[in-house]
Amino acid sequence: MWKEIGDREAGKLRPRLFANRIKSNRVGTLQLSNHKDIVSPHRGSINSLQVDLTEGRYLLSGASDASAAVHDVQRATDYEAGGLIAKHKCIFVIDKKHERGHKYAISSAIWYPVDTGLFITGSYDHHINVWDTNSTQVVMNFKMPGKVYRTAMSSVATSHMLIAAGTEDVQVRLCDIASGAFAHTLSGHRDGVISVEWSTSSEWVLVTGGCDGAIRFWDIRRAGCFLVLDQSHSQLGRCPPIPERSATNKASTSKSLSRAQQRKLAGGNGTKQSPTTGMPTKGSVRQRLHPGLLSSQDRATAHYGAVTGLKLTEDGMYLLSAGSDSRLRLWDVESGCNTLVNFETVRLQTSKPIQLATTQDSALVFVPCMTAVKAISFSMAFDVWSGKTSLTFRGHYEYVNCCWFSSQEQELYTGGNDRQILVWSPSSLIADELDEEQAQDQDNWSD
Amino acid sequence: MEKREDEGKVRVLIEKATNSTAPEVDPRLLKAIKSVVRYSDSELRLAARTLMALMKRDHSQVRYLTLLIIDELFMRSKLFRTVLVENLDQLLSLSVGFRRNLPLPAPPAVASVLRSKAIEFLEKWNTSFGVHYRQLRLGFDYLKNTLKFQFPNLQAHAARIQQERSERERRSKEILLNKFEMLKENFSSIKEEIKLTIDEIGECLDIVCTKEEFMPPGPLDDEDFVEFRSSELLQIRLNTLKEGGKVRENSENKVVFDALRELYKLLATKHLVSVQEWISVLVRVEVADNRFRDSVLKELIDIRNNLISVKKKCEESGCALVTTANHDEEDEDFWEEGKIGSLENGKSAVPDKQNEDISMASTSSELKNRTPESSNRDCNDNEMLNREDDETDSNPLKGKLMAEAPVMKWGSFLDNWGSSREVLANQRGLELESHWGRVDYNAVIPAEKIAELNVHATLYKEEPMEIQPCRAPLRKGGVCQRKDLRVCPFHGPIVPRDDEGKPLNQNSLKDEIILDSRIDLVEQLAKQAVKNVREREKEVTKKREIDKESMKRAKLAKIREHNAAVLRDAALASTSRSEAIGQDMEVTNSETSSARNKKETLSSMLRKKVTSKDRLAERLLNTRVKDATVRELTSGEDANYREAFPNQW
Repeated sequence: MWKEIGDREAGKLRPRLFANRIKSNRVGTLQLSNHKDIVSPHRGSINSLQVDLTEGRYLLSGASDASAAVHDVQRATDYEAGGLIAKHKCIFVIDKKHERGHKYAISSAIWYPVDTGLFITGSYDHHINVWDTNSTQVVMNFKMPGKVYRTAMSSVATSHMLIAAGTEDVQVRLCDIASGAFAHTLSGHRDGVISVEWSTSSEWVLVTGGCDGAIRFWDIRRAGCFLVLDQSHSQLGRCPPIPERSATNKASTSKSLSRAQQRKLAGGNGTKQSPTTGMPTKGSVRQRLHPGLLSSQDRATAHYGAVTGLKLTEDGMYLLSAGSDSRLRLWDVESGCNTLVNFETVRLQTSKPIQLATTQDSALVFVPCMTAVKAISFSMAFDVWSGKTSLTFRGHYEYVNCCWFSSQEQELYTGGNDRQILVWSPSSLIADELDEEQAQDQDNWSD
Repeated sequence: MEKREDEGKVRVLIEKATNSTAPEVDPRLLKAIKSVVRYSDSELRLAARTLMALMKRDHSQVRYLTLLIIDELFMRSKLFRTVLVENLDQLLSLSVGFRRNLPLPAPPAVASVLRSKAIEFLEKWNTSFGVHYRQLRLGFDYLKNTLKFQFPNLQAHAARIQQERSERERRSKEILLNKFEMLKENFSSIKEEIKLTIDEIGECLDIVCTKEEFMPPGPLDDEDFVEFRSSELLQIRLNTLKEGGKVRENSENKVVFDALRELYKLLATKHLVSVQEWISVLVRVEVADNRFRDSVLKELIDIRNNLISVKKKCEESGCALVTTANHDEEDEDFWEEGKIGSLENGKSAVPDKQNEDISMASTSSELKNRTPESSNRDCNDNEMLNREDDETDSNPLKGKLMAEAPVMKWGSFLDNWGSSREVLANQRGLELESHWGRVDYNAVIPAEKIAELNVHATLYKEEPMEIQPCRAPLRKGGVCQRKDLRVCPFHGPIVPRDDEGKPLNQNSLKDEIILDSRIDLVEQLAKQAVKNVREREKEVTKKREIDKESMKRAKLAKIREHNAAVLRDAALASTSRSEAIGQDMEVTNSETSSARNKKETLSSMLRKKVTSKDRLAERLLNTRVKDATVRELTSGEDANYREAFPNQW
């Protein structure tokens, strides 16, 4: 590390590269944090975790006992054992006692992406509530046709504020906070929709995974879905990039999609360079021009069984999906092909939606595998993908449902059926507390 | 090469230590493990790996011993802790067995011990190292709050006891302090009161003493002295003189005595006790200013000494006070414990009184100048009584007498035990004057009649006697447990025997027999000889039988082995079923052989006890299996050969 700092000082390293190196180093040393305890107020399994996107400070958790809580992960409420253990008690909790709280389990709790003034909870009692954080009151309420499995809001959206909701129902509904009504009803799935994700590169693109094993891409400005992922439609390695790039240049002005893309690029963070290659080529032009898909394509499945988890990488180029067939698949979003990454065998929970997390540089994906969370690194070497388990986090005593990686502090939060929210943080580099610790925890050989 | 050997060492040690049926790890092996692991991190890691692997073994005993080793290392090595907590959930599920799909393995008794021990260890680890390991806290919390396991809660228990004790101490201290404060307030008044009592007693004593001076001791004749030769008599005389010197209570000074008695009582029961109590309070109390306490303590001690001296004076002066008090006490004793000893006491108390009377009489006789004979006789009486007293006092003699004395039940007849008085017949009962005619008040029941009436009939009660068992050695092992008084119908006269059943003192027995009857001896010897010969014969035949049997068994085993081998060979060629049969037979073979040598092993812990039902089932199954195999195999090509040698195909 000191060498890298020296290099940075000498200007041998670019600032971003330096930061990324430090970060990936830190991620490599993640372990169960002894100094940070999140005191879970929940009395049911924790289904959803999210740290707010603006400050990276408030952790929102939703649990099966119809409660949702917000924790401050940066400032502890009190300390134990002489300041060694920082206890993070929740700032507030809403549960059944709240007069407009949910009746049944909260399956999904997400922050409003723009600020922390609102958060959204979806519950098995068929309702989606929008809460004012400061007054902890329900400001809006959507009645859904069935149990709500997952809600999502686009983190890159500038022109809409839609909540995409996957429910028991076959239709995906988009709830508009601005109007308080359903804006869209997307039909195409043949079974309930368990996982919903917005594209991280385009504000109009929505990805949904259903119990029927299909993963569908929707452009919300058009009717119907434009892409169904097919597990048998695969590619080895990367798409040949050269023709795509030329296509980008040609298509950049003509397509409305690419316009949106550029608008986003102008206003969004400048870190994304790759989407320019990725977005415009999404699906072949020919395919999208058809109002409906070919029936053969329409029946394609991405997993045998339900698609329980979806996660788009930070750059929006790849999609990770987890299914109840205990498979993890990586999809190339550009071509809609299965990249055939051989993820080391994992065993996934089959009955519940799981929440995956990726690191910012998309080298690692955190997957809840039964009672453990595995960090699987997927990388391409010599044009062949490989997925290797780099770390295994064992700490939960029951199944893990969700995890969230805070890229700001390189911390991993996991929640499971044992009602605990665990913090996994990089081992501290500086030995400031070592001397203190050594006083109490050391070898004690009497003979 | 050497290094590799070294590396394997801890693994071998651990495996050796866990391969035992003992409830504890062999301390020497444990020590060896610790010493190996202490100096090498790689060994420690290897140990952790090995221990975790052993925890997965499908045997609770192995897991239990492994857990004990884990605890030893866990409490000592930091590295071991860090390695182990990584897989704490696995360790817990293997040791506590809280996952439903992973219950603890076979010997259920050991499994329950294992679980309780694991829970105990987890609590211990959590209290000692929980601060440093989140995993420990998590595990503890999960077992406690989610699965609601009952932890022994040792530390909290100890803390609670400690707290209770301190609470009690604090309360008693408070009480003491309160008492001290009270004393502080009331000290002067108490002192006044005591002083008043002492003064009054002093006055009373003064009065008594002044009276005493009016009565000079009687003149003593030297002649009398000369007559008392023995020093004992002299002593008695001196005593009586002293007694005479004391002031007796009479109608004149009765009031004074009464007052004195009352004051004495007050002194003895109230003041002295309370002063003692105050002193103890002062000694125990802890206060800021010691000066007051010390001064009060000093004063109190003075008062106590004063009180004691006054009390003594009282006792010296008013003998009556003391004696009456003594009598009361003795009476109480008498009624409380209805034992012989107290009876004796009561008896001795009565002569005491007599003694007193007599001594008084003797003093008066001296004054009257009685004839020497009479006084002598009196003194003799006295002496006898004295001696009796002495006897009751002197312990060994008393013990001896007590041993001889008959044990009687309590009854009213003991009132006039040993007395030879005649009793007036009409002194008791109804006092109706001449109701049925004249009453002869002087009618007397003679002493013999009384004795006759007092004849005590008791039922003979047999003493409960432990009938000893015969304890002759039995053929099948053990000793005869039959209980007979003199003679066992199977093993002859009952004699003391040792643990194995051999007679302890045969010679003495023989001697006795010889003494008893010499004629019997010959007869018995002959009988014995015959018996011996027969026994030897029997033994020989038995031995031969056993030999034959074992030979047969060996032969059979050989044949069976051969059969098994053949079967196995056949199974390779034929169906899977026959292969299974071969295995089955092998298993039964090994089982019987292991049962035969009866050595306790880990697998023997796992094995269920074979009930008769099982055995029957096994036999049935075996025969069926054999039939099947026979049928199957006879259909083969070398059938003829097999038929020719049905036992060895």
